[in-house]
Amino acid sequence: MDALVETRSLRVALVGVPNCGKTALFNRLTGSRQKVANYPGVTVERREGERIGDDGRVLRVLDLPGTYSLHPTTLDEAITRDVLLGRLAGVPAPELVVCVVDAVHLPIGLRLALEVKRLGLPMVLALNRMDVARRRGVGIRVEQLAAALGVPVVPTVAVRRGGADALIGILDPARWPQGAPVAAVGAQIGAAEAERLQHDMRALLAASGYSPPRDNPWFARIDALLLQPFAGLLALLAILFVMFQAVFSWAQAPMDWIEAGMAALGDLVATHMPPGPVADLLVQGVIGGAGTVLVFLPQIVILFFFILALEDSGYLPRAAYLLDRLMGFVGLSGRAFIPLLSSHACAIPGIMATRTIPNWRDRLTTIMIAPLMTCSARLPVYLLLIGALIPAHKVGPFNLQGLVMFILYAIGILSGVLVSFVVKQFGGARQYSPLMLELPDYQWPNAANLLLGLWERVKIFLSRVGGIILALMIVLWILSTWPAPPEGATGPAIQYSLAGRLGAMLEHVFAPLGFNWQISIALVPGLAAREVAVGALGTVYAMSAAGDDLAAQLQPVIAGSWSLATGLSLMAWYIFAPQCLSTLAVVKRETNSWRYPLIMAGYLFALAYLAAFITFRVASAWG
Amino acid sequence: MAVVTSLRESASLDAGRHSDESLVARLRDLGFVPGARCEVVARMWLGGDPIAVRIAGSTFALRRAEAAAVQVQMAPAQAAGRESLTQPGTSAAAA
Repeated sequence: MDALVETRSLRVALVGVPNCGKTALFNRLTGSRQKVANYPGVTVERREGERIGDDGRVLRVLDLPGTYSLHPTTLDEAITRDVLLGRLAGVPAPELVVCVVDAVHLPIGLRLALEVKRLGLPMVLALNRMDVARRRGVGIRVEQLAAALGVPVVPTVAVRRGGADALIGILDPARWPQGAPVAAVGAQIGAAEAERLQHDMRALLAASGYSPPRDNPWFARIDALLLQPFAGLLALLAILFVMFQAVFSWAQAPMDWIEAGMAALGDLVATHMPPGPVADLLVQGVIGGAGTVLVFLPQIVILFFFILALEDSGYLPRAAYLLDRLMGFVGLSGRAFIPLLSSHACAIPGIMATRTIPNWRDRLTTIMIAPLMTCSARLPVYLLLIGALIPAHKVGPFNLQGLVMFILYAIGILSGVLVSFVVKQFGGARQYSPLMLELPDYQWPNAANLLLGLWERVKIFLSRVGGIILALMIVLWILSTWPAPPEGATGPAIQYSLAGRLGAMLEHVFAPLGFNWQISIALVPGLAAREVAVGALGTVYAMSAAGDDLAAQLQPVIAGSWSLATGLSLMAWYIFAPQCLSTLAVVKRETNSWRYPLIMAGYLFALAYLAAFITFRVASAWG
Repeated sequence: MAVVTSLRESASLDAGRHSDESLVARLRDLGFVPGARCEVVARMWLGGDPIAVRIAGSTFALRRAEAAAVQVQMAPAQAAGRESLTQPGTSAAAA
């Protein structure tokens, strides 16, 4: 039985140049049956998925990082080569390679396909985006191409339902022999070998009656605007501005629903359980704690929606082009733009995206400033403080609250610029690293791929809420209720608990910044994950106040008991403080040393303390 | 429009700053091979750095230092002569 199952499964690897629609094809093949992990020892994203056919056939599909050649210049590209060669420990070589080629840009894809074919692995060529290619007048005779190349060639339209059926049909485990030998690849491609590849590629194009696509006149028109220095930068600013405005205005309604839902759930539990510590833990610790963080899900979804849509549309590399020179002034590559933009959603995917920066120095600088970008975990804190302390006045056409939020983002970016400038000045000579970035054809973002990408982010966020955040909230709740206050105590119960005592100690450290003991307590669990601080404040205040109404009441409590200076100081602290253990852990993994996460934590804490101190003093002096 | 004539292995990249072979090899991978037609479609401020080059239906952003490795000849309709992709006189015509 086992043997039968064994022969009915096939390990398939997808290979292709960047922007060939490989990931869309992967999604089409595997649907939602995919998991994202890392390759052993490195943090290159390993996308794997499974497809189980109606007849019991199992395809295990691996989506390899995009590459132009098997002679790598980045870590991602090296992984692709090593997996194909079966050199990567823990990852068996594929039994079949599906080389994905964008039919609209056939030559560049065919060149890679020829290189892959020389490895000797069984191969199928997927001619993707066939619909667009036909529309733009590309001539390809598929059978002739297959005959000339000597492998099956299958047209696909990855973004269309059923667009990969022909490919799926050919991926039959019975058809492909196993254990084919793999040829070696040299580290550098010689000029002679490169010429031979070019020659073979041209012969293939001629044999398949290839005629190139008509240029889409719209692309040139759009590029004339978006790549024009002044108009292009203006458009980029406008796009970013709309994106951040949307995060705040569109999310309001769903946030209200979540808030109301969690409050109703809390009430339900409170009325149906006998009062006591267990009910308190459930209502205050679990529902209250998770709810205060869960409420920010809509904003995170909107932010990722924009980032994924911009990525899918082909715009992001153009932003990198526009910013390359400006970023060069402070010692960054334009390639750093995409990781830094992702860091506005979360520093972790941002830091992982720095792998596409070939130069180690550039990459390290980008990693070091990634946590300065305002990630979505800071949003709960900023939104709480702004909502409580900043009036919703109109300032010209803008809302003062939105403006303050914009300033917080801007400070994050500016300090990133300053830090990398300092690194450039004092970091010694750097090696030149090329830009060489493809500006792909524009396309409408594909709804199904967008939804799948969003769902992945939502899952990550929810598992954070359900895992680390919830655990911390429960621990904090226990610490702040135990031990119980002594007989005849006058102050709020929490002051006698462990958390209260810890807060009292920390208050000495944070008093110069204007933080009270409640904030000081909340900062402790906030070290593990920033957004927990909001839930922690909710817990602390709920237990120090007389009434037990939670979460929803936090804003008025803060508005009533904090000075503006304290609120601004806490915002300043949050711009810089490295309060996310997962980020530091990723830096450790990416740099493979403790040195850089320690440097990062040290310099960010120093900046945070300094910034909060100055903010508090200045704001206090102004009243 | 210009036609690529050759790739300079010893391009004007500052000496020792980058392995020229790997740079030239990557340019070749992207389609910058003798005989390919290319066109500068956009250039940024500050001396036109980086530039956007259209070649074989694809567009690539290249810095001047990278583009300097690509030797081109202007298409017959325009000025003749062997030039580098980034030299002011010819690149303006190419754009």
